[in-house]
Amino acid sequence: MTRPKHETAANALRLIPAKWAVAVVAILIGYVLLQPRLNQWFGWSLPSLASLVGDEKPAAKKETVSKTVAPEITKDFSEPASKTREKVSNDADDDYPLYGFLSEVGRNRYESPAGLIYGSGSEEGHRLKHIARHLEDQPDRPGSHGVFQGTMKEFLVAIDDGFTRAKKGGKGTKKEENGDSTVYEATFDKTIGFQGGQSGGRKKKPPSKKIRIVVRGESLITAFPF
Amino acid sequence: MGTPFLYVESCPICGDGLCRIRVCVQDQKIAGCILCDECEAVWTDPSLKDRIAQRPGAEGPECPTFGLSLWSRSSHWANVGEACLLGWFDRVHLSIASE
Repeated sequence: MTRPKHETAANALRLIPAKWAVAVVAILIGYVLLQPRLNQWFGWSLPSLASLVGDEKPAAKKETVSKTVAPEITKDFSEPASKTREKVSNDADDDYPLYGFLSEVGRNRYESPAGLIYGSGSEEGHRLKHIARHLEDQPDRPGSHGVFQGTMKEFLVAIDDGFTRAKKGGKGTKKEENGDSTVYEATFDKTIGFQGGQSGGRKKKPPSKKIRIVVRGESLITAFPF
Repeated sequence: MGTPFLYVESCPICGDGLCRIRVCVQDQKIAGCILCDECEAVWTDPSLKDRIAQRPGAEGPECPTFGLSLWSRSSHWANVGEACLLGWFDRVHLSIASE
């Protein structure tokens, strides 16, 4: 007949001097209390006392590990600019001019859900082509050059979001009338890009959480992270 | 070696653009103004004191002298010679971009 394990352990304790038995019990209590915290702090996978004596299956270990080391997804600023450029330009070319976000409201005129009009103009010939310059860095350009890290569609969504919040005077926004144009600023919870150009390059391309949007009437002139 | 890139200073309106000399040509005459290459603000000269508001209904910035679109084929960014001709060369920064 097989004896239960806890009975075997109790018998073993009876065989050693009392002070050693107290020390062993104290160590075991300490282990029980510290084992989950040590696993959490250091990423160890120490087995629980229950699993050591066979009363618990070690499945809980897997759950603890997956909870504590779940990776946080962040933008990778170390990605080479050329790689980003290639990806972005493909997106910009393939979905031009609506990007699954804008509606055509006239010849070469496109409207965003927030009511911003993207029309002809700028040196590039169209506002969409102008703001697409902000999807890649221009390291040789004097001064600062705000770069949005994402696709053109994500950029358009961010512009609309910032514009809508800034127009309402929401938290972390700013609005400034400058004669015929209005400059809106809005802050985001996350990093949306970085400061490029010569000035940004000298500062090791600091991340940007803000967007600046310049409009004339309802027409977008430019937008960029800063 | 790349082409010299001329600019007056960073734009006081948008902060990301560069105020540059834009030249308009009409009937073999040239006129200059300062145009931000980002937000399209226009000034009469490099002092950036007199800003020209865009005419209502205009599709884009216009030359203060001739009224032509600053994005039309009759306009271009000034080169070193034109900056000298306009008397503004001492007001500009020169940057040589690598190609």
